[in-house]
Amino acid sequence: MNPQIQYRNKSFVAWPRFVTRVLSTAILFCAPVTAAAQTDYYNTDTGRPLTVEDASATERYAFELQLAPLRLERSRGVYRWEVEPEIAYGIFPRTQLEIGFPLSYVDLGLGSSKSGLGGVGIALLHNLNVETSIPALAIAGDVLLPVGSLAPDDAVFSAKGIATRTFQWARFHLNGQYSFGADDVAADADDDAGSEVSRWLAGVAVDRTFPLRSMLIGAEVFAEKGRFTGAETRWSAAFGVRRQLSPAFNVDAGIGKQLNGDDRSWFATFGLAHAFALRSLLPGR
Amino acid sequence: MKRVTSRVLLAIAVLLPSSAQAQWSTTYEQFYLPGAFNFEFRKNYPAADRLFNAFDYGHAILYERLWTKPSAPASDLEDKEFEFITRHLLVNPPNLPLEEGAIEIAYVKLAPEAKMMFEWAHLLHRQIYDVLADERLSATQKDAKVQEIIRYYKTRKDLAFSSVPKSMELMEGQPYSLAFRKKYPKFNGLIWAYHWLQVGLYEPLIAGKNKDERQSGVAATVTRFRQMIEQPPTWMPRVMPMTPAVAPLFTARYPEAAIIFDNLHSMHDVISDILANPSVSRSQKRAEILKAASRYRDNTSFVMTPDEWREMATMMGVQNMGGPARGFLASFPTPTVERGAVMSHAAMPGMANMPGMQHGAAPAAAPGSMPGMDHSTMPMATDSSKTMDHSSMPGMSGASSNAVAAGNDMAALHKRMMADPVIRARVNADPVMRRMMQNAMNKTSTPTAGRTRATTTKRAAPTTKRASATTKKVAPTTKKAAPKPAAAKPKPKPKVDPMAGMDHSKMDMPPKK
Repeated sequence: MNPQIQYRNKSFVAWPRFVTRVLSTAILFCAPVTAAAQTDYYNTDTGRPLTVEDASATERYAFELQLAPLRLERSRGVYRWEVEPEIAYGIFPRTQLEIGFPLSYVDLGLGSSKSGLGGVGIALLHNLNVETSIPALAIAGDVLLPVGSLAPDDAVFSAKGIATRTFQWARFHLNGQYSFGADDVAADADDDAGSEVSRWLAGVAVDRTFPLRSMLIGAEVFAEKGRFTGAETRWSAAFGVRRQLSPAFNVDAGIGKQLNGDDRSWFATFGLAHAFALRSLLPGR
Repeated sequence: MKRVTSRVLLAIAVLLPSSAQAQWSTTYEQFYLPGAFNFEFRKNYPAADRLFNAFDYGHAILYERLWTKPSAPASDLEDKEFEFITRHLLVNPPNLPLEEGAIEIAYVKLAPEAKMMFEWAHLLHRQIYDVLADERLSATQKDAKVQEIIRYYKTRKDLAFSSVPKSMELMEGQPYSLAFRKKYPKFNGLIWAYHWLQVGLYEPLIAGKNKDERQSGVAATVTRFRQMIEQPPTWMPRVMPMTPAVAPLFTARYPEAAIIFDNLHSMHDVISDILANPSVSRSQKRAEILKAASRYRDNTSFVMTPDEWREMATMMGVQNMGGPARGFLASFPTPTVERGAVMSHAAMPGMANMPGMQHGAAPAAAPGSMPGMDHSTMPMATDSSKTMDHSSMPGMSGASSNAVAAGNDMAALHKRMMADPVIRARVNADPVMRRMMQNAMNKTSTPTAGRTRATTTKRAAPTTKRASATTKKVAPTTKKAAPKPAAAKPKPKPKVDPMAGMDHSKMDMPPKK
């Protein structure tokens, strides 16, 4: 999903039943699918585990379901939880269509809470070329629709460019993204229960693969600026691991910290992805 | 908008340097055929499945080393990497299929299209294992599912290997050919052992009548593979394992898949040769790989008929490919050719597309002298009615010296082949081979003088010469008989009649005109 579209919500301190429900729903959603298949730890996605992703698209005809993409953020002693189930499909060669449903649970304090959909994110990523002596390049566009009680007031469109270069000892990924539309007049993550979308984001990530263990570790640094008047550039760094559990499942986890600003929050992510395909969509019958 | 995009792309194409254009690759990955059979092989035969994961590494690291360290000593691959693979990786193979792109990092940037072809064909391999390992499917259902998998495989025309057999000329007759096997005989043997298991494992899965039989059969075949690499390279295949020879049941049941796999394994060797051969400059390697890949995909270049392909496999001899994949004895069959021998059947009837087959290049079990194989002393009929007039044969130009030389080569080839008890037994046991051998004899033998006058075609003649040259080159090594394993049976003593069943005097000879 678009790294710009970061759904910063109000905090809640306990693991809520809400999250459990989301997980259950996601698992039920994939259960009827008999076509187990192979997902790919080597193809990183935004937030899984790092914000900066690689230039690969989901395989042609593959569905990749993000079952439990969780994010925990701690800022000024307050915890924030986010869950965003999403599914990507290799709709064309080197092209993936992705739809995400950022669900939020917000603890407003004093026993009150708020939960809801933070919008519907739709993204299209097209990989322009496979890496040769030329880096792998990709372009992406996405929109966050104003659907749900915690969604932005208007649809937010973004465009993104991605480059991946592989060396013997590591891969490097470069991401740059810009969101269109006017600034919000005011926004404060602590006051606004809805989503916050960055005006721009730029970052670089490096990862190293351990192929015999089907695992990679990566680190990133990125800068972003909020899409509201007076927003300052925030710098963050993160570290993550992604590992293949079985041919059909992979798991990821990451941890990061905002490097500047007043709150200097830290965050952790966890995700589980499942890949499958539907025979009816494939050729050769 | 579309027009603008087109113009932008055109401008980019014009501005890009030609080398960059040549490197602009748009190949892509595709999900494999989903079904309830997915991962059944992994579930039911985990030990074998894990071995295949390790094979991924072997293929990948080979290309990576050849491409990134072209000047490295052969011991890097032959010793270091080989030791790691056989003593560690194959002993404790990975639990999951490997991402080869993370191993062959530089190679995959050189030729991602070829890497994708391999990956797509390896998926075909694995999917067929899955189907055959699925105990819920009946034989009919398995057949139908395999056909569906093959259909799906072929939907990727940019990746799918041709299901028309390709001749050995494509693998062994190119300017870069044989470089890998010559420089890295042990690693080459390991790759061929991989290929032996990859096709051989289908046999117990098909032959087993129930799950227990399949389980024990697969375990036996895997054990055989492990034996094969225990004393490298002694019992490793000496020629590329051909599916019809190693997996005859599979070939009979799924011939199209068998052809695809032979083409796949053949291209593995071709890419190794391109990468290993310094005569192909680094700037040309990508182009050569893509050219070879294109030839392996098309249905027109270097093709042979399925019958010729089967015949070639038979002639090459399963004993030279590591032996059969099931029903084998405790000891390995005695190979009859030198390691890495070139297959040259070009001069044989029906084998015009198979240059090489240098049986004369050193049957390990057959020393240079061939008692009982002097054709000049054979009890051939002296009846003038059976004397061949070669000058009247099609393609013969009387006493052309070239033809005579080629004929001599052919006779020598024949003599060496028939001196080998294993080949002789095989020929005698196989009516087709026997007929072919008789035909060859008809065309090459003159009963009275013991000289041969070949009827080689123009196409076959150069290959025969090459085979002859190689014969001379490797002849001295033939005396080094491969060591036998402890359990090996004693070498059969030469029979009193070395030509049992091959009484040339009884051969049908063309009538004199």
